Amino acid sequence: MRHPISLKQEFLKKWILGLQRCGFSSKKSTSIMERKKAIKLSADLAMASTRNGTTCWSRALITNASRDHESKILAQQILGPESQSLKKASSTMPPVICSRRIRSKKILKRSCSSHVRRVRKIALPQKVLSANSVAKRLVQKRTNILKSLVPGGEYMDDISLIEETLDYIAYLRAQVDVMRFVASASEVVNQNSD
Amino acid sequence: MNRGFIQEEMLHCTDVAVLERQRARMKWHQDQQQQSYFGGTEFGGGGSGVFQGHEGHHQVQNFQGLVGTGGGDLMLGEVVSQSVKVVDPAGLKNRWAELGRLELPQPDLGFESCGLLNGTSSEFEMTAGAISRTSSCPPKAVVAAVAEPKGKVSAPVGKESSKKRKADKVQNTQVVVEDEPKDKRSKLCAEDGESKITEQTSAKNTTADNNNRESSSDTSKENSKASEVQKPDYIHVRARRGQATDSHSLAERVRREKISERMKYLQDLVPGCNKITGKAGMLDEIINYVQSLQRQVEFLSMKLAAVNPRLDFNIEDFFGKEMFPACSTSFPTIGMPSEMTNPAYLQFNPAQVVACCGLEMGINSSDMALRRTISAPMSIPETYIDTPCFTQLPPSSTWDADLQNLLNLEFHQGRSTSFPSQPFTGSIEASNLKMEM
Repeated sequence: MRHPISLKQEFLKKWILGLQRCGFSSKKSTSIMERKKAIKLSADLAMASTRNGTTCWSRALITNASRDHESKILAQQILGPESQSLKKASSTMPPVICSRRIRSKKILKRSCSSHVRRVRKIALPQKVLSANSVAKRLVQKRTNILKSLVPGGEYMDDISLIEETLDYIAYLRAQVDVMRFVASASEVVNQNSD
Repeated sequence: MNRGFIQEEMLHCTDVAVLERQRARMKWHQDQQQQSYFGGTEFGGGGSGVFQGHEGHHQVQNFQGLVGTGGGDLMLGEVVSQSVKVVDPAGLKNRWAELGRLELPQPDLGFESCGLLNGTSSEFEMTAGAISRTSSCPPKAVVAAVAEPKGKVSAPVGKESSKKRKADKVQNTQVVVEDEPKDKRSKLCAEDGESKITEQTSAKNTTADNNNRESSSDTSKENSKASEVQKPDYIHVRARRGQATDSHSLAERVRREKISERMKYLQDLVPGCNKITGKAGMLDEIINYVQSLQRQVEFLSMKLAAVNPRLDFNIEDFFGKEMFPACSTSFPTIGMPSEMTNPAYLQFNPAQVVACCGLEMGINSSDMALRRTISAPMSIPETYIDTPCFTQLPPSSTWDADLQNLLNLEFHQGRSTSFPSQPFTGSIEASNLKMEM
């Protein structure tokens, strides 16, 4: 893990660069939602490219951004020259992960069905079984929610999900810090100039 | 009772998969074992432990190679590399035990068990050999020496073989096992006790036992070999009493350990998570935190979009702030994080400034001052960094522009009229202009 200060600086640099590219391309006045979307997308992409495509979440973030059609153009603008290398990094991984996901789903289904059958046959003490299953279901539910929150989390297993969450939280924190700072700064200046 | 306990232990710690693999490979090992066995008996009979140690060392090396080629199993490779480490002190103990046997009237007895367990480094052999030459201590003293260091290292050597032998002699094992009834140690202890037993019984001239052991020596040899490999696996995974040891549950346990280890890191990272125990609660907390962070990002981008009419909003205001890295101490209300204002970042500024200066050409007059400040750090960014307060500033035109912006900020934040604006005559009108706006 890098030092948070250098991380924030790099993020800020990339974000501003991305925003500039956006600003260059769209000279016409935009609505607030469009602007918001561009800002968020550029911030996310800057964060992902700060991570340099070494983690699953950053790759997934870039691929998600370039999947949607209208955001694809924006993402290409934001990423600019480095989009090629990052795309390459991000496009190499997902097919492998996807295939693994399908396979593991099959296995999961099979194992789940067999598990259910076995449980029915053996008929463990009902209390223990229910407590276990309740706890498991609780954890499973939360894990699924977490998977939906972390970009690319649906392709991860438990261990890598937690690792990626660790990394993602660190970067989200940096992003929030930088954005908060910029927002407060721009607020001050705007009030000043009004 | 103790016997039953030990046998239960044996069953628990026996990894079936590893054992079977070992048996499949046993024919390969047989030759190797025979070789070392004979070497051990020959040289050991001569009383020189050094040669024996060499034999044992070679045996371990070859054995490692065999496992590496034959198994192709990563886990086994680990296991063996660990076994070499672990065996060192154990080998020393075996030396000791062997010493005791060397003093006995029937020296060939000890080699059946000890010649097999020769895996040790040559240094230990050297010391042991030296002692074997010099010392002629009675067997009981040697046994005491064996019993001394076994507390630290958990090297359950020859589990299976000792089990078989224990079937012969229950009462002796009971005596020994009572010393250390803990799970791992008991195995080692059983082995040590086993060697003790062999000495005792041989001293008592129990020939029937000798015959028994001779007959079971072949199988016990194999088993001890197998258990030698399997024991670091046992240490590695740390299956406790009563835990399942088939490969699936072992893998599951390792996985769970990994997850809980990462969870601990997450606990440190996520605020307010350290009081919560239980995976579900922790996941809840983590989810909340990630969600709040993501919502904050949404909110902040919304705020930025609302505040700024243009997309490249943050450039001018950002640089309006970034001009004053050192002076930010005198403007605490700006709330500029100090980490963003180091020289490394300032070097980034001029390149950006060039771009944004071109961009901001057609803006209204209120931005004029800002644009002038933007052009400032291109000329003197370095001198800026080290200036602690602005009364020491040299009165140059660019400084005027910057201080003008400073004045603006100051007026906006504190409305402080006590600001020393005297030296900057050129900037006063502009700042007044700003105030009126």
